[in-house]
Amino acid sequence: MSQISRRQAMALLGALGLGASAAACAGPGGSTKPAGASGPAAPSAGAVTGKVSFAHWRGEDKAVFDELIKRFAAKHDGVEVAQDISTSNDYNAQALQKLRGGSIGDAFATFRGAQFKNFTEAGIYTELKDSQAVKNYQKGLLSAGQNGDSQLGLPYQVVFPMPMANLDLFDKAGAEIAPKNWDAFLAMCEKLASAGVIPISWPGGDVGNGGQLFNCMIANNAPVDDMCAQIEQGKLKCTDDWFIKMLNQYKDLKPFVQPNATGTAVEPAQNLFSQGKAAMLATGSYHLAAVRGLGAKFPIDLVFPNTTSDGKGKYEGAYNATFILGVNSASKNQAAAAAWIDFLSEPENAGYYANQTAQHVSVDKVEYTNPDLKRLSPWLQKKTALAARFQFNNLDVRNAVEASATAVISGTSPEQAAAAAQKIVDERL
Amino acid sequence: MSIHPGTAAKRKAPDSAAPANPAKGRRRSPTRVNPALYLFPLPAVAVIAFFLVMPTLQAFQYAITDWNGFSAAFNYVGVDNFVRAFTKDSLFTNALTNNLKFVLLVVIAQTVFSLVLALLLTKNSRGSILLRALFFFPTILSSVSVAFIWKFIYDPNFGLANSVLRTVGVDGGAYLGNDAQALYWVAVTQVWFHSGQMMVVYIAGLQAIPKELYEAAEMDGANKWQQFKSITWPFVAPATSIVVAYTTVQSFKAFDLILGIAGNPPKSSLDILSTRIYSTFANSEFGYAAAQSIIFMAMIALVTWLQRRLLRLTPKGD
Repeated sequence: MSQISRRQAMALLGALGLGASAAACAGPGGSTKPAGASGPAAPSAGAVTGKVSFAHWRGEDKAVFDELIKRFAAKHDGVEVAQDISTSNDYNAQALQKLRGGSIGDAFATFRGAQFKNFTEAGIYTELKDSQAVKNYQKGLLSAGQNGDSQLGLPYQVVFPMPMANLDLFDKAGAEIAPKNWDAFLAMCEKLASAGVIPISWPGGDVGNGGQLFNCMIANNAPVDDMCAQIEQGKLKCTDDWFIKMLNQYKDLKPFVQPNATGTAVEPAQNLFSQGKAAMLATGSYHLAAVRGLGAKFPIDLVFPNTTSDGKGKYEGAYNATFILGVNSASKNQAAAAAWIDFLSEPENAGYYANQTAQHVSVDKVEYTNPDLKRLSPWLQKKTALAARFQFNNLDVRNAVEASATAVISGTSPEQAAAAAQKIVDERL
Repeated sequence: MSIHPGTAAKRKAPDSAAPANPAKGRRRSPTRVNPALYLFPLPAVAVIAFFLVMPTLQAFQYAITDWNGFSAAFNYVGVDNFVRAFTKDSLFTNALTNNLKFVLLVVIAQTVFSLVLALLLTKNSRGSILLRALFFFPTILSSVSVAFIWKFIYDPNFGLANSVLRTVGVDGGAYLGNDAQALYWVAVTQVWFHSGQMMVVYIAGLQAIPKELYEAAEMDGANKWQQFKSITWPFVAPATSIVVAYTTVQSFKAFDLILGIAGNPPKSSLDILSTRIYSTFANSEFGYAAAQSIIFMAMIALVTWLQRRLLRLTPKGD
């Protein structure tokens, strides 16, 4: 081997350093190109074979998806689906970066709102408008996956972010399950408290779950349906009368939530409910399976905190269409990924998923055999508001606005809490 | 660069006294290093360049852009991100205040507590060794496990703290749910988590102090406090320096503990710089998050330097 001189060695190291610096100084930006003027392309066609990575955050649904994967593999010889599961918080923060390369998440799910918007802007979705799957969905529930004329994702789950009620405790206390207005709702809480139970178990120490009650509280208080988007844009303010009124209603709830509610995480809140110590769990129907898992045997229904004074509110409840399924535009196996989404969207398979996970789905013609889902099915026909908190695209704004409600429950005056929230909104306008 | 003409001439001029076969006749200087050896650090240099230098340089570059983390388009915004952090973002200044408060609390409490433990357990008796192992035990746990353990302890409904208090007729509190107190409770957890580790550093320092010094001091009539002040404290200064610096960095970066105990995103009373940067990143403000990271890095360096200057923990001559 010919020797190199010290000067050559130093030059080589220097070149390496310069190369690293030059690479570092290359502009930001990624490989995934945003959709052009012609819009995103449909998933490429081809043989349904090879490996498919399915990225999502529902660890609790893993076993159900495993069974569905088995059925899918039996239908398509040579295909293999692997789940890539993150916690919901990590998925919210990191999924976009992980999926852009295309090696993870040939098929994937997103949350409604900010995450869907970011994925859309990053051009991760393919066009599913003409797919087989889209025909299986209830048309009215597809909007959360649309961007203009494009159907980029398919909102798979329908959940009700409304307090769940222990019907046995309601019966025992003689409390009305469907209060017509705010006074009736408070009277109902009073009856439950008189019967010796905590009326509402609220996980105020958990931002994500504690914020679900906000969807109900704001639905009939706000002057417009896109109130959260307008708060973020500065068109509406947290210091507006309607918002202060809503915070005052939160203040009304203070005597009816468990002591030290702002320090309660979601698991203890679920325990209070499943052990029969609390009559309501103010999270949503997506916790049905969890509370059953904790041993809750009682019949469960939903309660809508109707915030109107005359009972003439626009909405009778709140719902969210989420777990938006999509096919990754950077995937090298789009055909198989699209086939997996088609498979999940077939009524039989969607029904299996729904009944096993105790969650309603947006797929049409699904037969609900799970007793909880059967009982809650009438809510699918009611006039429910699409969960407002997911209109926020800026998570700092969302957290600040929702934190105003938590602050009120912990003793801050509604006016002060509203002003603190508005300050953060103003900084981000 | 200029080359001395004489030197160049010397290099070019053939050495008339040199033998015909240079390999055989040229004497190698014993201090001369084979240039090929300079290639040996190449893998390490490459790793450092790609995994340390490059990301750091990129962070500086991103910090002056409004890049959202995924778009191909971005704008250079100069120092706007840095100005925004200090003047137009109360969430960032709140996280900075929380973090400084947290660092101060933990550094003082952890340093004092670990020194007290070390003083009590310096002797190598069986009991001491057992207790040292016991106090060191939390250190080997993952921070996420610690967070979940303490989350349970602090739970106001089923938690250990309130259950114990209820047995003696006290109602207990909301702990993490009380915005005015939450940071202090997390500081307690942090001190519990790392004091054992710092105790070991102190024990090593204490065991290195010559016993003769204490014997001489006793003969001179010095009481325990005087012995501590005049012998122990000056001699454990290097250990204190390590403990304080390590605890500072640890407290600035208590990311996983806070996220585990307070959830993601943590509420504003528990938001510290690392969790704020993560929230900004998750909020698709990559450029701004990079600027916050640089401020964070500078803050750790500044606080560590200030501590060393103010506490003067390095003995003279070191």
